[in-house]
Amino acid sequence: MKNSRIKIAIQKSGRLRAESINFLQSRGLVFDEESNNLIIPCEGREIDIISIRDDDIPEYIFRGAVDFGIVGKNVIVENDIPVFGLENLNFGICNLTVAVPENSDIQTIGDLNGMRIATSYPRILSQFLQKNRIHAAIIQIRGATEITPKLNLADAICDLVQTGRTLKENQIKELLTIMQSQAVLIGAKPEPFNIDL
Amino acid sequence: MNQALITPEIPKGTRDFLPADMAKRIYVMEKIKNTFVNFGYDTIETPVIEYAKTLLGKYGDEGNKQIYSFDDNGGRKIALRFDQTVPFARLVASNYQNLPMPFKRYQISRVWRADKPAKGRYREFYQCDIDIIGTKNLLSEAEITRVIYSTFNALAFEKFIIKFNSRRLINDIFASLGISKDKFTDVLRILDKLGKIGEKATENELGKLLPKQSVEDLLRILNIKGSNQEKLKSIESYASKETIEEVKEYLDLCDSFGVPEKNLILDISLARGLDYYTGIVFEVYLTDIEIGAVCAGGRYDNLCSLFSDKEFSGVGVAFGFDRIVLAMEELGMLKQIKLNAEVLVTYFDKESLNESIKIAKELQEAGINTEIYFEPASLGKQMKYADKKGIQFVVICGPEEIKKNEANVKIMQIGKQKSIPRTQLVSYLTGFKKI
Repeated sequence: MKNSRIKIAIQKSGRLRAESINFLQSRGLVFDEESNNLIIPCEGREIDIISIRDDDIPEYIFRGAVDFGIVGKNVIVENDIPVFGLENLNFGICNLTVAVPENSDIQTIGDLNGMRIATSYPRILSQFLQKNRIHAAIIQIRGATEITPKLNLADAICDLVQTGRTLKENQIKELLTIMQSQAVLIGAKPEPFNIDL
Repeated sequence: MNQALITPEIPKGTRDFLPADMAKRIYVMEKIKNTFVNFGYDTIETPVIEYAKTLLGKYGDEGNKQIYSFDDNGGRKIALRFDQTVPFARLVASNYQNLPMPFKRYQISRVWRADKPAKGRYREFYQCDIDIIGTKNLLSEAEITRVIYSTFNALAFEKFIIKFNSRRLINDIFASLGISKDKFTDVLRILDKLGKIGEKATENELGKLLPKQSVEDLLRILNIKGSNQEKLKSIESYASKETIEEVKEYLDLCDSFGVPEKNLILDISLARGLDYYTGIVFEVYLTDIEIGAVCAGGRYDNLCSLFSDKEFSGVGVAFGFDRIVLAMEELGMLKQIKLNAEVLVTYFDKESLNESIKIAKELQEAGINTEIYFEPASLGKQMKYADKKGIQFVVICGPEEIKKNEANVKIMQIGKQKSIPRTQLVSYLTGFKKI
């Protein structure tokens, strides 16, 4: 049986969840935001809000399991899945940044040569290094990269920076920005997001 | 004893390959092979030597002259493999009961031709073939076209043209121009040389065989320009409906396979110089370099019948491996190909040798191609060795490093040295591969 309900995926937990809910409510959707269900139906609409890991959202859309999703631009670029960006949502604004310990000898992009860079964004970082002809070791980890220099696991990190507070708390400073990111509404087709469909 | 030395030389038209060349050749061959495998082709092998009678008379007069043949020690007439298609047909004729039909296979091996050596033309060279037999469905021609397209794509060629023609189309055109059947082969031979000898010479040669009007009409047809569909439209009146439909169907299938129109061109003057093609024929040319056809083949309906009463229709192409390598070399497409070793572990002294071997073993087990230097020579000498081989990393393993439980890696390309905890060596080196 064909399920004709429109499905919109948002982050299950994390920095974009609350604002994603705000955005959907601002477009007139009414749903129980406190619910622990992973599928929350909208009142009076043939629409479901789906909560999944943000890394999985582009894949779900590409496979046709959900119709729309809200993710950080960084997630779309890192996963390299052909989905369509429909609208910049002007929240979750942050930079993907290469940062180094405050007392580091690394002063310029060229100093990254030969260094260990810890990141959860190996693809974006790799493309950046390749473009700039930097030979460095990408140390792939899943999160909390800011701790790696202290543990002598990396000489630099490449991570999302929103306010810069986390860096500061860990005596790390920004060296350069690779890309700017924000929450983006994505879909499987280049059609405008029209939930009154 | 004062014995006369033998001059270390090899026969004309043959080549030795040193490791740097072999690395490039293997890279190209793997790309081609992987494309074949990706389309589900399996491989076979046939002997280098065949009975001469198996090969003679299959490649036209020119081909016959170029077959290497000799009497073996038992006085049997033997010939060296001239191409892979005829031995393949012979193999099928004696094994078809055991083969799944339709049968498709790829084959990459050496062939020998006593041709006049020239740039990109050797007496010993590789062919990379695919053939599909046991079906007359045009889907097989279209698949082969797609394999050609994918192969040149995989090799990163940006500009190449797959020229094709239909033997039936040519036959129809000849018949409609009143050219008698007994002259078809001779006319085809002349047309095949059109690109080489030019239009004027072709006109003269044809004039010896055909009336003036036929020559004029023929050349006019050959000169028709436009898209494939436009060309077909212009020659519609010279060919039967079925013939035109066949070419149209082939083009539609190629379109479904995603072969771009710009890479696939109907060339009515294309008349492969071999005797056994009966349907669609192909030739592939690289736009950026004049090196001749880099791939050629077509439909052969009658070949297996020489070896068996059973009829096998087949279609196949041979990739000119050596020409492709030469073209890629000249176009600078193989510059990044390195020798196998990625890491050299130094041999500092006898005390540290054990640790050097341990490091090398650890890296090898992690899938990093690693070698160890064979002598406790000066570091400079070992670095020079690494440099000469284009090795990317040198792991320096001396008493100092062992004491500190560190690994000291020199990244050759940037000349920088980096110390890291010994336990991080594998993740550090694989970290560079992520780029």
